[in-house]
Amino acid sequence: MERHNSPASASHSQVIEVNIDIDRDASSFPPISNPSPTSNNKACRGGTCDLSYSKDSPERWDSMRKLVIAVVLCIVFMTVEVIGGIKANSLAILTDAAHLLSDVAAFMISLFSLWAAGWEANPRQSYGFFRIEILGALVSIQMIWLLAGILVYEAIVRLIHDNGEVKGFLMFAVSAFGLVVNIIMALLLGHDHGHGHGHGHDHGHGHGHGHDHDHGHGHGHEHTHDHGHNHEHEHMHGHGHEHQHEDQDHEANTFPTKHQHDHSHSNDMKESLIKKGNKKPKRNINVHSAYLHVLGDSIQSVGVMVGGAVIWYKPEWKIIDLICTLIFSVIVLLTTIKMLRNILEVLMESTPREIDTTQLEKGLCAMNGVVAIHELHIWAITVGKVLLSCHVIIAPDADADRVLDEVLGYIRRDFNISHATIQIERH
Amino acid sequence: MQEKKDAMFSYQFPDGDRRLAFSRQSSFRHWDPPLPSPSPSPSPSPLLRSHSFKPYLARSDSTVGMPLLEKPGQKDATWVALILAAVRGVANGSRPMKRLALMISLNVAYSMIELLLGLFTGRVGLVSDAFHLTFGCGILTFSLFAMGISRKKPDETYTYGYKRLEVLAAFTNALFLLFLSFSLAVEALHAFMQDESEHKHYLIVSAVTNLLVNLLGVWFFRSYARVNIVYWKPEDMNYHSVCLHVLADSIRSAGLILASWFLTLGVENAEVLCLGIVSVAVFMLVLPLFKATGSILLQIAPSNIHPSAFNKCSRQIASLEEVLEVSQARFWELVPGYSIGSLSVLVKKGVHEDRILQHVNGLYNDLGIQDLTVQIDYK
Repeated sequence: MERHNSPASASHSQVIEVNIDIDRDASSFPPISNPSPTSNNKACRGGTCDLSYSKDSPERWDSMRKLVIAVVLCIVFMTVEVIGGIKANSLAILTDAAHLLSDVAAFMISLFSLWAAGWEANPRQSYGFFRIEILGALVSIQMIWLLAGILVYEAIVRLIHDNGEVKGFLMFAVSAFGLVVNIIMALLLGHDHGHGHGHGHDHGHGHGHGHDHDHGHGHGHEHTHDHGHNHEHEHMHGHGHEHQHEDQDHEANTFPTKHQHDHSHSNDMKESLIKKGNKKPKRNINVHSAYLHVLGDSIQSVGVMVGGAVIWYKPEWKIIDLICTLIFSVIVLLTTIKMLRNILEVLMESTPREIDTTQLEKGLCAMNGVVAIHELHIWAITVGKVLLSCHVIIAPDADADRVLDEVLGYIRRDFNISHATIQIERH
Repeated sequence: MQEKKDAMFSYQFPDGDRRLAFSRQSSFRHWDPPLPSPSPSPSPSPLLRSHSFKPYLARSDSTVGMPLLEKPGQKDATWVALILAAVRGVANGSRPMKRLALMISLNVAYSMIELLLGLFTGRVGLVSDAFHLTFGCGILTFSLFAMGISRKKPDETYTYGYKRLEVLAAFTNALFLLFLSFSLAVEALHAFMQDESEHKHYLIVSAVTNLLVNLLGVWFFRSYARVNIVYWKPEDMNYHSVCLHVLADSIRSAGLILASWFLTLGVENAEVLCLGIVSVAVFMLVLPLFKATGSILLQIAPSNIHPSAFNKCSRQIASLEEVLEVSQARFWELVPGYSIGSLSVLVKKGVHEDRILQHVNGLYNDLGIQDLTVQIDYK
């Protein structure tokens, strides 16, 4: 479900033209008023609605395209380095080429995960293949850790081989080249999807609390992490204000407190995006893990550069090289911790961070006819796709159908969980 | 109705709860019939939840704007408390846990010695071996941690409990072993391209010690020393992965010793051959475990139930008179031995749901699905 806001209206505070794309899953726009008994809140058109990637296809192909470009670039640079290394007969250049090879491997894993996540669900794999993304990201991160360890090991080897065969200048030059390559790829992977925002794909859900309650700041936040696309700042601010005027009925929702809290500390771009309850993660987890890989490599290149400069300048201070490498390796590992935590939480089937369980329970219990709820399980199939299952006990005289409808509607509207299974019981 | 709801909002959290030692604190008492909660709630009906107005934050950086309930001096004590809790956890743990802890400490001590020795004498081979061992120890520690924490009861954030961590630890172990086999293959290639000018014969001592320590580990977990195992409980996977880990390590050490011996005998390319064989052996060893853990983590339908059984159940339900359609039947395994499912049943209007619920639950329980959520839609 996408809402495309025409760019022309962004800078004015007039009535904006809203083109709402109602696609086949009509149940994602439940009516605000009391639904009829045969409301389509529960219906899920199509066999595996929303559990296949077909709706997100443009984003997916976009991510894949970026990764393919990164892979090609990487291979080109790698061959350049290998040829140069063989010609100059230098081990350092070949080692750096090997690191680029590991980059290629990480990109391949990400590409494969992205591609595999789009496979159609089958009865054996009833939730679709989205988990492959998470596992692929896990493998990627393990590789980052492995590489950090290998680099530290190499630094120790350099320390041990005291016969001065390490040429500081060569180390410096090679790692500088590697750094430039990594920066190019980091920009490629992290930069492009900023334009995706401009087309308003992210304002997806009409009743989503995502940006309504951001008071226009939310997108500003995202874009600061997006290497500051200032023109998009204004763009988004315009959107934010207008939407606020539109969706008056959500003012009462207590979600704003959560989002305002958000703005003070969302370091991780991924986290801040998800907390706004968007349907699609703006940065695909695989692209993000590839980006982390490249970022880690560039940090380590900086470390090796510093070490090379030190050895070049004063060859007897070799221990500085080791210390530098250790420090930078620790920095690299720290950057992966957040993503690792996300992966761990998804794999452990834990309640996603963006869902406020307390409020969900309170809201459900406060509904007409609902006596109690138990066995509430909320879990994510991948970052951004949440499922819920719950047993609701209703009063003996309540209408099961109506209560079911209300509950599903509430969950869908306020928490953006499209896949909920509710078992109604009477006592 | 309002009073009843107010009664649910009674704050209760026992002091000195052991779980405070872990970094996550439960803010909810969840009375869950299949998995009993740790402390009984005083409210009359077991099905009601008790809420607290000022809950502990379940997550350290939760953005819910609720006041933090802090115990005095808690922050300082956390690290010490964590370590103490870890030691206590291992001491109270099951026998495999203790054995694994013993093995890990042996390995860590040994790798420290090796690293220092390598640094002082300038032998690169020792250093690389020490690194290798340290990585392995890290992964084994994760397995140990998973064993310890899996006994925790499910809480607010981890509604399904912590048993999944064992599967994850087994997966990480399997992944590490795959990396190991790949790196051994690379080493073999390296030895193939290089001259045999400097074979590190001094590594023999380290390889023998490594072999002995790992054989001890294999002996501890000897009941799991097979390639294909049927997993009945989540611990099975974890133990199996640990056993395969030490087994692979011992095969690697044995391979190195053999390679050295063959070289002294004058066999050409002995190192390449041995490393290659070891690499292939480790790969074959670990592949079934990798597939099994991977399929659980990927939410694949329970492997111990044949897909045709699901179809049969589905048809049986659809053949009931009141039922019009069965849809969105999804099943997955939380851990080996505990399967969860959800499905949607479309029935005629006015049908009482209890009977259908009981029937459906009974059917799927027989199959082995312990936890089923059935959504009944009325046409």
